[in-house]
Amino acid sequence: MNQRNVQGLVGWVRRVFFGDPARRFAWVSLLLTLSLAVAPTKDFFRQWRHYQRQYSKFIEGRPDARALRGRAVSGIHQIWLPDLSVLDRCTTCHLGIAEPTLAAASVPQLFRAHPPIPHDAEKWGCVVCHRGQGPATEVAEAHETTVAWEQPILPIHFIQASCGTCHRDNLPQTPQLDQGRQLLARFDCTGCHKIAGIDRPAMLGPDLTDIGTKVSREWLYKWLKEPRTITDANGNVTVNGVDFGEPEMPTFRLSDLELRELSAYLSTRNAHPIQRYHFDPRIVARLSKRPGVADQGEARFRQMFCSSCHSLAVTRAGETSLIGGDIGPELTKIGSKVNPNWLAAWLRNPQEYLPHSQMPRYEWSDADLYEVTRYMETELTDPDLLADVPKLGSPTKTEIEAGRRLFVDKGCASCHVTEGLSPQEDFGPDLSTLGARNISQLDFGTAKIPRTLIAYTQAKISNPLSVNPAGRMPQYHLDPGSLDAVTTALLSLTGPPATRGMEKLIVVRQKPEFHPAGEFGKLYERYKCYACHKFNGFGGTLAPDLSYEGSRATRQWLLQFMENPQTLRPTLVLRMPQFNMPERDAAVFADYFETAMQSPAVDATLDRKEFTPAMAATGKQLYEKKYQCQACHTIGSAGGYVGPSLGNAGNWLTPGWIEAWLRNPQALVPGTLEPRQAFTADEIQALTAYLLTLKQSGPTRDAAPSARGAK
Amino acid sequence: MRAGALLFSAALGFVILGGCARKSAPAKFDPLQNAYDTEPDWNDAQRIISLNYEEAQGKQIFYKQCVWCHADQTPAGPSNRSNVIPAPPLWNDGATLNSLSDAFLEKFTAQGGRAMGKSAMMPPYGQTLTPEEIRAVVAYARAIAVPAPKALSRPGQK
Repeated sequence: MNQRNVQGLVGWVRRVFFGDPARRFAWVSLLLTLSLAVAPTKDFFRQWRHYQRQYSKFIEGRPDARALRGRAVSGIHQIWLPDLSVLDRCTTCHLGIAEPTLAAASVPQLFRAHPPIPHDAEKWGCVVCHRGQGPATEVAEAHETTVAWEQPILPIHFIQASCGTCHRDNLPQTPQLDQGRQLLARFDCTGCHKIAGIDRPAMLGPDLTDIGTKVSREWLYKWLKEPRTITDANGNVTVNGVDFGEPEMPTFRLSDLELRELSAYLSTRNAHPIQRYHFDPRIVARLSKRPGVADQGEARFRQMFCSSCHSLAVTRAGETSLIGGDIGPELTKIGSKVNPNWLAAWLRNPQEYLPHSQMPRYEWSDADLYEVTRYMETELTDPDLLADVPKLGSPTKTEIEAGRRLFVDKGCASCHVTEGLSPQEDFGPDLSTLGARNISQLDFGTAKIPRTLIAYTQAKISNPLSVNPAGRMPQYHLDPGSLDAVTTALLSLTGPPATRGMEKLIVVRQKPEFHPAGEFGKLYERYKCYACHKFNGFGGTLAPDLSYEGSRATRQWLLQFMENPQTLRPTLVLRMPQFNMPERDAAVFADYFETAMQSPAVDATLDRKEFTPAMAATGKQLYEKKYQCQACHTIGSAGGYVGPSLGNAGNWLTPGWIEAWLRNPQALVPGTLEPRQAFTADEIQALTAYLLTLKQSGPTRDAAPSARGAK
Repeated sequence: MRAGALLFSAALGFVILGGCARKSAPAKFDPLQNAYDTEPDWNDAQRIISLNYEEAQGKQIFYKQCVWCHADQTPAGPSNRSNVIPAPPLWNDGATLNSLSDAFLEKFTAQGGRAMGKSAMMPPYGQTLTPEEIRAVVAYARAIAVPAPKALSRPGQK
């Protein structure tokens, strides 16, 4: 088109459209009308309107279309929770959230009903749990990270983090969150970081004041370089997370020089030299001549059930796995680690070396102690453990001084105590608001990971170098499940409540404690009963809750059991250790249980004489035929092993306990496996009578392992 | 006049821009990232099944109360299944459980085998678990069933 034509066209347009005032007026009016139409037109094309139209189309033709249409909102719909400072417009598009008829998987996710959860989605809205932007009305702004609105939707896999924002207490519905919180505590994250809800315990890592008396400089060098010392068949360090005995000590990236200096410093920490234990020379002379001392020690190690707390690596068919409990450290290579004098002193009285140790103080005979220590020193070893450690020699003054500085600089002092150095608090950043952090607040460095808070958090834990090469954060080797659990727990940390209203909603974590006084209190501390058993809501979960033990067990049985613990559950691998408890101690326990650990629900006055053989005969019929209790309980060798063996119930249990238990097991031990049955009063009486007739003669003292030794 | 033309083009621009608003698809997640919990297929550990909230709660209850007799492997090692006569169905046994309705399984769990004319070895859980918990355990059975149930009557089943 040439210039002339353009000029002609322009002239034509002028003549036709703006030739006279009336025309001009008409066209301007038209334009004005059009421009006024811009807003409604734009509004018509809004995303949420598009989805609302789709919804109308979707429900059309369904049998319940009329009801659905009646309840469908048009226009922006919002849920306002002033207490939480939350404004939530998600239901503008997600129209079927509360429609039970739209629950099927065939319904597009956009309109599908929310699966059942404890909270009413209509009342609480979506962003309280799912995060994202509540007020946004565009798909991208609501769900993703955009320039202005950064908080993206939380993947469902991590959704339990949102539960933890208000529920600071542990919930049965959030296993992943609870696991993550436990891991945060277990790996002593609070040593360096401030974490809401997890207090800095009295002891984080072991007290190193006297570490020089326990291990060699070479072992320290090796440990500091690579704390994971369990290797698989190929000699590789297994990286399989906590299930595989991941040490709580992370990997620090230390140079050879740093390792030399730190090991020099630590190997000279021996403020309190150990008192070498002198075995009775006659016993040593007698035992050391005998072949197989270590085998005897191993048998004793097993009999005492050390493995209930300590695991050993066992390689079968090329696969290495840890067998045993995880309350104490794994002991596979303990013989190559500790000084023999230290080991004997430790076994005799762990608290003398480490006052906070959870290890019970056993009663040892010289013969037992000699055999067990020989076993640990000679069998639980790895000749190659220190093979790659260079010759270190004696530490020099310069090395020790440099090591001391490193101990502080590297953050060792955050978890470990040594004499003269106090633990540092707030060594690492405060994590109390990590879960609310925006992407723009995170330094991804050059890491090639998705720009999300989740990816950042996980990189920080499992490969901190990738995000910050100069950072002090050590490396943790968690398996994917544990890493996700820890991430969930960290994402739940969104800082203090946004408003006063939310404070009311927060469920704080319960921290029950039970520290009895008197004679019992001393023994309770000595044998560390609470490491495995629960007392009045406080203690471990490995073994039965003993809060009502006085109502449950007869005195005779208690005395016998503590002297020679035998399992009531034949399939259990982890059992009560053999403490070699003197009779006097067992009596203190029995006395205390009898007087203080009683359940108000149990009728202690119920007398065995009230139960007749006729009742017992009926009870036997009920047990075997009507209710078939043998599905879960053994008597003798027949029956199932879900519940405890009842073969000795008559000696073990009190009549009042059996009766109350049959009425409602959950009332006595909340959460116990046995379901409550609808027995009649007569049936309860008959079953109690029958169970009271079941008696086994207890093990004689000669057969009991504890009868050995003490000579 | 010039103003009119400007206004015209501006209006046109608005209309066009408004109409062509960016339509980005909702963020797509890995299906497992979108699951409350997961469970490997009991017969094929490579196949991971995603569970919604209710199914995940059912899994929790199952592994506490039911696993001892309704699975061949338990957290404690050996299963009690062989001690129960007749052997109870594995909880993922679709061939047996798919034909039974949710209502029937829920009633069976609540009232026990004896009340339903079956083995008394199945105790009643109606006074121990809440109806919601029993429903969750059944939902979990449906989620892990092999073969998968045909009629999907439950929310969020895949």
